Amino acid sequence: MNPYYFASIALILIGLYAILVKRNVLKMLVGLSIMETGVNLLLISVGYVSGKSAPILSEGITPDKAVDPIPQALVLTAIVIGVATTAMALSVVINLYEKYKTLNVEEIRRLRG
Amino acid sequence: MSQYASLLIALPLFSAFFIPILKRVSKRAIMPFLVVVTLVQTGIAAWIFNQVYTTGKPIIVMAGGFKPPVGINLYMGYFAALFILVIALASFLMAAFSMRAVNVEPKDKYAMLFLLLMLGATGMIATGDIFNLFVFMEITAISAYALTAYNKTGESSEAALKYVVLGGIGSSFFLVGIALIYGSLGTLNMAHIGQLASMINPTAAKIGLALLIFGLAVEAEQFPLNAWAPDAYQEAPHPVTAMFSAFVVKASLYAIGRIIYILSAAEGWSSVLRLLIVLGTLTVVIGEMSALRQSNVKRMFAYSSIAQVGLVAVGLALGTVNGVSASVFHMFNHAIVKALMFLAVGYVAIELGGVEMSKFEGLGKRMPITAFAITVGAISIIGIPLFNVFWSKIQLILAALNAEYTWVVALILGASLIEATYYIRLIHTMWFKGEGEKVKENSVLALIMLLLVAFIIVIGIYPEPFWNVMQKAGSDIFDVAQYIKNVPLMGVSP
Repeated sequence: MNPYYFASIALILIGLYAILVKRNVLKMLVGLSIMETGVNLLLISVGYVSGKSAPILSEGITPDKAVDPIPQALVLTAIVIGVATTAMALSVVINLYEKYKTLNVEEIRRLRG
Repeated sequence: MSQYASLLIALPLFSAFFIPILKRVSKRAIMPFLVVVTLVQTGIAAWIFNQVYTTGKPIIVMAGGFKPPVGINLYMGYFAALFILVIALASFLMAAFSMRAVNVEPKDKYAMLFLLLMLGATGMIATGDIFNLFVFMEITAISAYALTAYNKTGESSEAALKYVVLGGIGSSFFLVGIALIYGSLGTLNMAHIGQLASMINPTAAKIGLALLIFGLAVEAEQFPLNAWAPDAYQEAPHPVTAMFSAFVVKASLYAIGRIIYILSAAEGWSSVLRLLIVLGTLTVVIGEMSALRQSNVKRMFAYSSIAQVGLVAVGLALGTVNGVSASVFHMFNHAIVKALMFLAVGYVAIELGGVEMSKFEGLGKRMPITAFAITVGAISIIGIPLFNVFWSKIQLILAALNAEYTWVVALILGASLIEATYYIRLIHTMWFKGEGEKVKENSVLALIMLLLVAFIIVIGIYPEPFWNVMQKAGSDIFDVAQYIKNVPLMGVSP
């Protein structure tokens, strides 16, 4: 079993823990980012082959000497999407703080029912 | 010819990023531009619908001319052709409604996000690649987060925050699911996955599918992950609420159905169906129970919408072709009815300044056409004969009986009973309580509402041709062997 899998799943669980337990909105968003990092690491390690080099076409690197490039392309996309989500969430939080004067999720509860 | 179908993706994308330039020229042109773009989109979608249903062959667009699974392909079969038309039409009607409903600046940003939302949902339905599906899902989700927060009140930001956090968790789950399936099969193309499905590691298939379902369940409003939905529906601008209910949730439900059925050859697959049927049932029960005790009408409709998509999920999980077709029929009917009802409720909110139950007293005398539209929508959703939802509920019940899920029949009938309770209360409030002076109703919106009402009644009286279309669309999802045969996979064999 690949140790990278354990590390990435641990990261996902740490992120999930932060989202579920922390009361501060910013800490929840940090948890979300950690979770995304864990997922990205998992995707990379799915395509990793021990002892092979980066899949960049150059001298001496033939297809059989490189790791699987597709997960790396996926992760690049996923990172961009994660950045967009985080930026979106932070701009929402700025507006939330202006209106509620707090970042505690237990006090941000006008919508219920 | 078929390459023109890629305009469905290209047109909203280019138009969305053309809007900042248009804003420099004339700010007043933005909203009419939005209406024109959605109208052109509807035209292209209608052409594709006609093409697919007359030739009986799906339209396949290959990006850059590379054959799948190397290149990414768009697949517009019976289902996609139908729902792309629904999306484009609903967007067109809601763009017309936006001209009246959206008065908060910056409208240029609203128009951009509106087009991106439409683009994302169209892409989710049309794509033939599982990672491309993820990208389109995120385009839809991020524009939906921004549109939820668009009114910039404290409540709308609160709703958007819930949506972002749940959506983030969902997208991480989805990516882990992709990683598992890719790790096991080494491909991302849906047809290729379907071809190799019998070779997949059963554990990877089960956990991967469960994670993909949970990831999509955020957008599809299935039970444990739908806490954002009532808040977002309540606080989003009115046309956006209608779009959420009419097609954003439908696109995710389709994705759930498609992903489940392409892996149907995998070992231990039926346990995933049981997971989905449990999620769907819980969604129906909790949605209906919550709708019963709402005093905010928009929120009540939101919960009713959640309950209906729960029924769709149950239908998808029956595992028979009739169940899938009935689900598709229910999705189609629900899209029409909820577009109508959220439009009417939004219009009431604009004219009378609120959506509390007390604002609806005497609506029958104050805004008769709007009240009539809400009444027809409500009666239809309850499932009274001669209205469209009756036929899809009947088909769901028949499919459940054929699949030997007798308790699903009880679920559907019980849900209809609870719906009758709260909708008849609303109808009573509108027509028999309170007085008020008449409000002059906007003729364009009245025309849209009457058009949708007419559509509901036409399907209610002549369900046969529509049911034939839905059966084709349902078998497009269910019949994986045909789907694999339709996609020209490049020289690969299992």
